[in-house]
Amino acid sequence: MTPLSNQAFVDHLTASVRFVLPEVALVGVACLLFTLAALRCSRSLAMAVALLGVVGAGVIAILVPEPVGQVNPALAPIDPTGAASFIRWLALVAAAVYVLLGWADTRTDTPAEYHACLLVAAAGVSLVGRANDLVSLFLALEMLSIPTYVLLYLPSRTRTGQESAMKYFLLSVLSSAVLLFGFSYLYGLAGSTNLHVIVTTLASAAPHKELDPAVSPLAVVAMVLVIAGLGFRVAAVPFHFYAPDVYEGGPTGVVAQLAFLPKVAGFVALARLLGVMSAHGGGLPYDTQHTLIPLTLWVVAVVTMSFGNLLALLQDNLKRLFAYSGIAHGGYMLIGVLVACTAPPASADQSGSDALLFYLVAYGLMTVGAFAVLAHLSAPDQPVETVDDLAGLGKTNPLAAAALAVCLFSLIGLPLTAGFVGKLQLFLAAFQVPTDTKMKSLFQVLTVIAVVNAAVSAVYYLRIVGVLYLRAPFRPARPTRTSPQLVAAVVCAAATLVLGMYPQPFADLTRKAAPVVAAR
Amino acid sequence: MDDLFSPNVMRWVLLAVLAAPLAFAAVLAVGGGNPRVARRLAGLFAALHVGLTAWVVIPAAVMIAEYGAMNNGEAYKHFRPVFVPGDTGDGQEHRTAWSLFFVGKPTPNAPPPAVQFYIGLDGINVWLVALTSLMTFIAVAVSWGFAQERAGGYFAWLFVLQSAVTGAFLSFDVILFYVFFELTLIPAFFLIGGWGVGGGKRDAARKFFLYTLFGSLLSLVGLVGIVLTNPTPPGGWRNNTQSLKQDRGTLSFNVNDLMRSTVRISIEHEYAIADAGVKLEQAKPLDQSGRDSAEAELAKAKAARDGYKSTQFWLFFLLVAGFVVKVPLVPFHTWLPAAYAEAPPAVTLLLSALLAKLGTLGLLRIVIPLCPHMAVEYGLPVFGTLGAIGIVYAAFCAYAQKDVKMMAAYSSVSHLGLLALGLFALNPEGLTGAVLHMVNHGLTAGGLFAVIAILYDRYRTTDMTQLGGLMARHPALAFFTFVICLAGVGLPGLNNFVSEMMLIGALFTPWNAAAMGYGLAVAAAAGIFLSAWYTFTMLRSVFFGPVRTPALAADAPPPDLSGREVLAVGLIAALCLALGLYPQPVVDVVKGDVAVVAQTLKHARRVVNPDLADAEDRQSGMEQQPISVNPTLIPAGGRGGPPAGGPGGPPRMPQQPPR
Repeated sequence: MTPLSNQAFVDHLTASVRFVLPEVALVGVACLLFTLAALRCSRSLAMAVALLGVVGAGVIAILVPEPVGQVNPALAPIDPTGAASFIRWLALVAAAVYVLLGWADTRTDTPAEYHACLLVAAAGVSLVGRANDLVSLFLALEMLSIPTYVLLYLPSRTRTGQESAMKYFLLSVLSSAVLLFGFSYLYGLAGSTNLHVIVTTLASAAPHKELDPAVSPLAVVAMVLVIAGLGFRVAAVPFHFYAPDVYEGGPTGVVAQLAFLPKVAGFVALARLLGVMSAHGGGLPYDTQHTLIPLTLWVVAVVTMSFGNLLALLQDNLKRLFAYSGIAHGGYMLIGVLVACTAPPASADQSGSDALLFYLVAYGLMTVGAFAVLAHLSAPDQPVETVDDLAGLGKTNPLAAAALAVCLFSLIGLPLTAGFVGKLQLFLAAFQVPTDTKMKSLFQVLTVIAVVNAAVSAVYYLRIVGVLYLRAPFRPARPTRTSPQLVAAVVCAAATLVLGMYPQPFADLTRKAAPVVAAR
Repeated sequence: MDDLFSPNVMRWVLLAVLAAPLAFAAVLAVGGGNPRVARRLAGLFAALHVGLTAWVVIPAAVMIAEYGAMNNGEAYKHFRPVFVPGDTGDGQEHRTAWSLFFVGKPTPNAPPPAVQFYIGLDGINVWLVALTSLMTFIAVAVSWGFAQERAGGYFAWLFVLQSAVTGAFLSFDVILFYVFFELTLIPAFFLIGGWGVGGGKRDAARKFFLYTLFGSLLSLVGLVGIVLTNPTPPGGWRNNTQSLKQDRGTLSFNVNDLMRSTVRISIEHEYAIADAGVKLEQAKPLDQSGRDSAEAELAKAKAARDGYKSTQFWLFFLLVAGFVVKVPLVPFHTWLPAAYAEAPPAVTLLLSALLAKLGTLGLLRIVIPLCPHMAVEYGLPVFGTLGAIGIVYAAFCAYAQKDVKMMAAYSSVSHLGLLALGLFALNPEGLTGAVLHMVNHGLTAGGLFAVIAILYDRYRTTDMTQLGGLMARHPALAFFTFVICLAGVGLPGLNNFVSEMMLIGALFTPWNAAAMGYGLAVAAAAGIFLSAWYTFTMLRSVFFGPVRTPALAADAPPPDLSGREVLAVGLIAALCLALGLYPQPVVDVVKGDVAVVAQTLKHARRVVNPDLADAEDRQSGMEQQPISVNPTLIPAGGRGGPPAGGPGGPPRMPQQPPR
């Protein structure tokens, strides 16, 4: 029997178009922009069209109802439950901010292409949140990657820029291949490409192995391959080697995307494959009854945050510094993935998956805010590259300096910023994992390691704050101008503060988006 | 008129005490371009704040003293803060309904656990809040000539610092405390780095920030762990029959609930062990399966107790990390010389008078009540010893300094070592003495740094080799300096004498052989002697002998104290005298809430070391029997012989608080 002869399956396939209309709109506007590109469209026009596209997608997302109840997760290729709409709105808001940020990078003659690629990438991220099938998930991830290759290449007229684009392209393709290899194992094990079926099958298969308490070795191999493939997207050590070089050579606006969008996509995809962040939830196939996968994630998290922070200490180049900082924060977020996917919380506790979502957003705000300030300050004749280039910014450009300082304090994790609330939730989630599982008190140890890392990271963030405010400027002050990048930076910094001072409404959103999966 | 002092008004005034400095800072940051305008505004604001604080502190102190008198020698089970904003139930509940952030999801019976905006005044913090307001006023008064450049920003950061410190003092929620504790770093960083007086000010600012942050992040994990391992029982506090086994209970972030939970959980563990032990004894010798199950139960109960204890062990050391760096105790003090030397003199004043108290208050409010068992077991041996080493080491360092400011810095470390040592004696004398010494040290150390700020204002240096014979030139300054220094070395009749004697007296507790065994009191007494030595050496070199001043100030001798400066140092000197002559009203306010901590410690001692607890009870005349954990835990009497050390302690101080 072919799938097409199964009427329920065909119905679900047809119905799922309704669940991707905003993404279709985004891609449609992108096509329009590609057409406009042939007509030499100006950068303000391209920006306006792109913003309109994002707003239009948002309007569609609000207007088109999603009959969530009618979806059978075992059949549907698109699952609009769980974190799906949270991720969609995250992608849309991020796209709007990136359109503003792209102002500096679109000085060249390709503004329309730039924004078109951006919209496709945003649609990809949004789709990752709702893909419920290995095929749709892989397509969504590629929808994010392929425009990024183009984006990295478009404004780069320099050798280093082209080198970084090429480096990203080759490694990204390699990681996709590894990911697909892992997917093929998952398909082989479960006999289906449907995520819900895969998770349910693996979760229900394991308890039968009382005598040999291990998940199927093949499932472990598959998951290790998946972690490797997605580890590239989230820049987890040891798959992080591209990050500093690509960040250094890439245009600032694109680097800001690279720092955030693949992380969202990677973590959400990883969480979905490990069995969380969907309202239906098929159980946790890799919980702490078996140590292989939890331990793998534990080691990756520890190595990622420690390496990221230690190497960031040595950096002088701002973009390289933020690359390593991004790697380190990826390590913190892996704590969230680890806790969510291996240790289901008791009813009233802090769950790992909403801590992960909160931290993702907090990280996005502070990192994109910081890059936006860099994009605002850089001028073709006077690029801002090293830490010293920021000297005395507090005097010459108080608003930009304040925005950057807020983002840096948030990255350190000082109270009243989103970074603090995010870290607090992660620590709470990790620390409360019971110590009577096979992982013993490794989760508590992990929390302490994370805290030591946070303290180490303060060294290099604080160095930048010191340079901003405590050093005399050695560049002539430029007349302050307002640019779209500055608007983006101020918005991000303000949101960081709001989330830090009044996190409740947003935390409720993340809780709604990340339903708790019961232990098997 | 009565309305002005009703609790409902007071709650808002207390909020204003916390928030007003932020408003002052905003005004100064915007409108403080001209230094003359900025410093007048700052002076006005600081004076206003002192008035505002007096409005709330005096009625609060009266009220707290009444509470303390009402409890008939029986300590309450938790702190009783007054004027809590958002108080549920007419001010009698002493807790708040203002939740900031819910953690987790609501359960059917209870709201989700929440981080709360829980602030209030109790016996432990009420004088510290007053001290904060006063010291900020003095810091502003002695910065008059200092802040010429970017004066608005300087005073604005001073007020932000004041607000953060006040918030930390007021907090009864552990996360809220941590938030304010960390927020002090930002203003201090900019004040030291931006307005510092030395060449290495940027490094000093970074070092200060990073050291403190490292410690306090470890404390954050400790706090998270304490919160997670000490849930409130499901039926509330009244319902004591509920056992741990049925339900884990809900998480709570406030000090009061956590303190009661930690006592209760350890007692329940002991009960469970005793229960199982009784079952094992009662099991018939031939009933093998009954014996086996009883043995298994006993083993399980013991394992649960040991698990809880080992968790508490790690949590204690994590928790204490942030505070010992902040105080600082000696091996963790390495950030201090640079920060104190490079900071503007008025900021050094605040660092020593107020920020150091954040560390000691944290020990008293957070570490000791929330980890009482480990504090009993490891407090004195580990941190008491560090304190004792610090007293002597820092005293010798102080003697070796050539700069008055550095001498004062090390002297501050030495006195704080004494404070920590007395605090970890963990008896009511020590705890009361510690609270009192926080205030007294704030006054004397703050006063000394105020004098230093005035000297720096005159001569742009505080180097002892460049200054001499100032008595002839500034008689008024010399007079106040003598008063403050004499108070600092503990002359009877001045304030430090009272609290230092209480702290040393605490170490001679006859029932606690451990306290005597380490000879810690010897170090403490030596510290007081050494403090006289280095202080008088400094006074001789700076104020006596032939006049010696730096070249730049030589041709136009700077004037003696202005009226504003007389007000600043005179106020401190007067308070030193007043608190030295008649400390009883202050002690009366403190004792009620100190008794709460002491009660918690008593329970802990009974669990950790029953012999010691018995000895303590005998010593205090068996006035009251603390709730008995279990008959099997209390020996039938006389076990272990008379307490080592005997009644050979020093004569008790008249100010000793009634138990």
